[in-house]
Amino acid sequence: MAAAPYHRPETLEAALALLQDGAAPPIILAGGTDLYPAQAAAEAWMCPAPARRVLDISALSGLDGIEDRGEHHRIGARVTWAALRDATHLPAAFDGLRAAARQVGGAQVQNRATVLGNLCNASPAADGVPPLLALGAEVELASAARGTRRLPLAAFILGNRRTALAPDELALAVLVPRHGPGARGGFLKLGARSHLVISIAMVAGVIEVAAGRVAAARLAAGACSAVAQRLLAAEAAIVGRAADPPALAAAILPRHLGPLSPIDDVRATAAYRREAALVLLRRLVAGLAAPDRARVAA
Amino acid sequence: MPQVTLSVNGKSHTVEVEGRTLLVELLRERLRLTGTHVGCDTSQCGACVVHIDGESVKSCTILALQADGTQVTTIEGLAKPDGTLHPMQEAFREYHALQCGFCTPGMVMAAIDLVQKHPAGLSEKEIREGLEGNLCRCTGYHNIVKAIAAAQDVMHGRRSELARAEAAE
Ligand SMILES: Cc1cc2nc3c(=O)[nH]c(=O)nc-3n(C[C@H](O)[C@H](O)[C@H](O)COP(=O)(O)OP(=O)(O)OC[C@H]3O[C@@H](n4cnc5c(N)ncnc54)[C@H](O)[C@@H]3O)c2cc1C
Ligand code: FES
Ligand code: FES
Repeated sequence: MAAAPYHRPETLEAALALLQDGAAPPIILAGGTDLYPAQAAAEAWMCPAPARRVLDISALSGLDGIEDRGEHHRIGARVTWAALRDATHLPAAFDGLRAAARQVGGAQVQNRATVLGNLCNASPAADGVPPLLALGAEVELASAARGTRRLPLAAFILGNRRTALAPDELALAVLVPRHGPGARGGFLKLGARSHLVISIAMVAGVIEVAAGRVAAARLAAGACSAVAQRLLAAEAAIVGRAADPPALAAAILPRHLGPLSPIDDVRATAAYRREAALVLLRRLVAGLAAPDRARVAA
Repeated sequence: MPQVTLSVNGKSHTVEVEGRTLLVELLRERLRLTGTHVGCDTSQCGACVVHIDGESVKSCTILALQADGTQVTTIEGLAKPDGTLHPMQEAFREYHALQCGFCTPGMVMAAIDLVQKHPAGLSEKEIREGLEGNLCRCTGYHNIVKAIAAAQDVMHGRRSELARAEAAE
């Protein structure tokens, strides 16, 4: 294979300029934990992808922090799962996202892999997506030609491995809006083992309890459709109810999982996934409403 | 061809590499540091774990060029020049934490980072969780966990020497 040039710019301007080459834009490299295995698999099956220039964003300044900007928290494109996992100062609404961080891939993958890379890779089983859907996150994109724009996460991920990212765009950050002080997040995933597996099903939620009742709820499920989905019917079924864990769990019914369209594959059948999502969702909601405020993480 | 300059086990190297060369290829094939193993092509097994600036990473999942300007430590860099083993290596020997030995370099490197990040000490459960990125097809992990539990006491200065394996039962 021809040697593909490698770029590691330090400024955003330089990075965006490199992406302006419409004929052959470079491939963006963050932690590389999706890119390298994909490349190795393609080579192992003897269909290597043509060499592409690499734009390594690991030296870009200004993208490496989790910043409290008042109305939202801004998670930059270089923030790794390890950084998020260790960000103990984040409010309890982030507990689901941080639980996902603890379970992504094992320590070495967490040390390199970025949250944004997880979103841009757009796997149906990406563990970052359900917690960020539940948090109501937006993705900030930038291009040299059109400046920056923001998209809700649900509008950014279009399908299995498809996003709204234009060829000349770089994702800069994910923005998480501020939630009420009582908001708590949770995440539960089911896989054949606890780590280093692609999830069979996972669920995430952010719930606010006020005066003993569920004041607000945002729930999402992943690995059960081409793109992780908000579960609006399930949310409606618990909002306004007394925060009684068993009753809340019972209020979630199979028909509330309507938007899910799981597939049969080597990991599980569609019917098993649907059942697993229901069980996980009930457990999640019960845990988030539990008065002892135990953090909900598998 | 682009150049990469990095320190490996305290020694500085400048090497010309292709853009696509992985760090593990640089270590094994160019610097002949073959203690770092390659056990998979899916970034799952952890046989290739080394430290970059003190943090454990999978060297099969990093371009050599990405390690430019960093300090890399491999399994060869742990023992003292006089041959004295690192407490983690010593513990793996004492606790019989290996059989074929293929996973061992990566296990030891992962374990050292894990222990260094937890000065208050790790429970057995935490050690097992911390090793999720490293697969062993031989030992069943049991003795690896025991070895790490023993090594952490020495690394954090809670014991001056390793508890003997028998006494740890
Ligand atoms: C052993 C192993 C275990 C894993 N376990 C899990 C798991 O449990 N759960 C899970 O969800 N994932 C898992 N993964 C997948 C992967 O680690 C995550 O998806 C990770 O978050 C990807 O981030 P990255 O920085 O490594 O992305 P990269 O591999 O660098 O990039 C991924 C994709 O996103 C694009 N991209 C990256 N950053 C940007 C940006 N800023 N702007 C535009 N495009 C960008 C890249 O071009 C590429 O297409 C695992 C991977 C491995 C190797
Ligand atoms: S060789 Fe298996 S994880 Fe690197
Ligand atoms: S000792 Fe053989 S793989 Fe671990």
